[in-house]
Amino acid sequence: MDIRFSGVSKIFYPDITALEDVYLEIPKGEFVYLVGPTGSGKTTLLRCITREVAPTRGQITVGSFSLRKISRVDLSIFRRDIGIIFQDFCLLPHLNVFENVAFVLEVLGAPPREVKERTGEILDQVNLWRRRFLYPPQLSGGEQQRVAVARAIVNAPSVLLADEPTGNLDLHTAEEIMQLIISINALGTTVIMATHNQYLVDAYRQRVIGIRSGRVVRDEKRGRYNLDGEL
Amino acid sequence: MGSFKYTFRDAARLIVRHWGLSLLTILTSMAVFYLIGASVLLVLNARHIVGVLEGELSIQAYLATEISADILLPRVRALPHVTKADLVTKDEALKRLRDRVLDSRIPDIVTLLDDNPLPPSFEVWVDRADNVESVANDLRAISGVSEVVYAVEVAQKLAKFSSFAGKFSLAILIVAITASAVVLFNTIRIAVYSKEEEIGIMLMVGATPTFVAMPFVIQGIILGGLGSLGASVFLALSYNAITESIKELLPFLPFLERGVVVMQLGVILVGAGGTVSLIASLVAVETFTKRAMKPL
Repeated sequence: MDIRFSGVSKIFYPDITALEDVYLEIPKGEFVYLVGPTGSGKTTLLRCITREVAPTRGQITVGSFSLRKISRVDLSIFRRDIGIIFQDFCLLPHLNVFENVAFVLEVLGAPPREVKERTGEILDQVNLWRRRFLYPPQLSGGEQQRVAVARAIVNAPSVLLADEPTGNLDLHTAEEIMQLIISINALGTTVIMATHNQYLVDAYRQRVIGIRSGRVVRDEKRGRYNLDGEL
Repeated sequence: MGSFKYTFRDAARLIVRHWGLSLLTILTSMAVFYLIGASVLLVLNARHIVGVLEGELSIQAYLATEISADILLPRVRALPHVTKADLVTKDEALKRLRDRVLDSRIPDIVTLLDDNPLPPSFEVWVDRADNVESVANDLRAISGVSEVVYAVEVAQKLAKFSSFAGKFSLAILIVAITASAVVLFNTIRIAVYSKEEEIGIMLMVGATPTFVAMPFVIQGIILGGLGSLGASVFLALSYNAITESIKELLPFLPFLERGVVVMQLGVILVGAGGTVSLIASLVAVETFTKRAMKPL
């Protein structure tokens, strides 16, 4: 799904400008890093795509969906094609690894057999099959994030949004997660990843969009995290 | 099929996870539905008793002479609210008096009467107790009728009691249904807030608001249904005991038979319990999902 931002601004009451006049075009299958200091507007931009945040001005289209006016049912249908990885994992502590991943397919009404097979495949892919009966508090940070990745991709979404997916992880684990996300992108999923991890951005060179004070300050095809002291 | 399984599994989890609250809700709704059932039974019995007593309530219209009786009888029968009117001849009146007095401890009094001094009369029955007075006035207006006698106070009290029972029960019904709706609404709301994070994730991965609402609605229907079912059982058990003890004190009161009435009322109560729970749960979840899906 192509993603298009046309003159998008978001002002939180009373006068906090989170995004200002953002124009963006992200074609299907692209991998994009969003970089910028804390509070620059990266998360707001991602949340505009999931329509957790509605722009004050401008228009966002994702595939055939115009997010300016979308019914609740259409929003549900739209969100089924978006996978989200949160920095703090957002796993359900009372469900085990298998149930946390299977939950998405159950919610979407998949038949029990498909839920079992598909969840098994994904857990195998993220090397968590042997830990499927453990609960989130029993897992390491890296393992929890891998569960979060598995949950985000289990229904094969067209777009994967990752908000600081390696923020709480050591470099080795962060690389493992990164490899996983790269492999998902290789299958045709559009990936937008907000990150502060300079090492990963520079090691896995992709399109880099720099944001500062809600404005897009740079957009490079195969950029680096920090160029000459700038973003 | 998957959704169906998920919905029921999740509803069961919600009930078990908050078992204390679930039990409290069942007990509260049981008490509330018992109150509703009891007030409905009160109205039904009040109406039944009033109906039976009304059937026995008659007006006695005494005639000056027996000559005009056959001409007047069709006129009396044609009066509004009159359900039945019979002529009681002088001889019949005397016979009745004899029978009544012979039953008593002073039978000799009738033998003292040489000539029959009793006037002929019409015995008139009306459809409702509160129409007795107007029919009595109509009878007084008929020439040839010398005196009209009826139990004014009984008629008025029956009419008042019937009206009061109806209003009282309606008030109890409204208060009780509102109370049960509020209790169920709060229980479901607490359950919804306890799953706030989960619901947030469900909505983010594309679950529809209906899908999110279903386990809570099922939870509400189960709790409300169990409460009303329990109330129906207790009502059936207590109804007989209560009516029997009242009958011992007031044996002339005709109560409704337990079996049919309580069975029908039980079905209605369970239906009402399910409906109130359905509405209360839907409102509780819908309010939450609407807010959760509203963008910032």
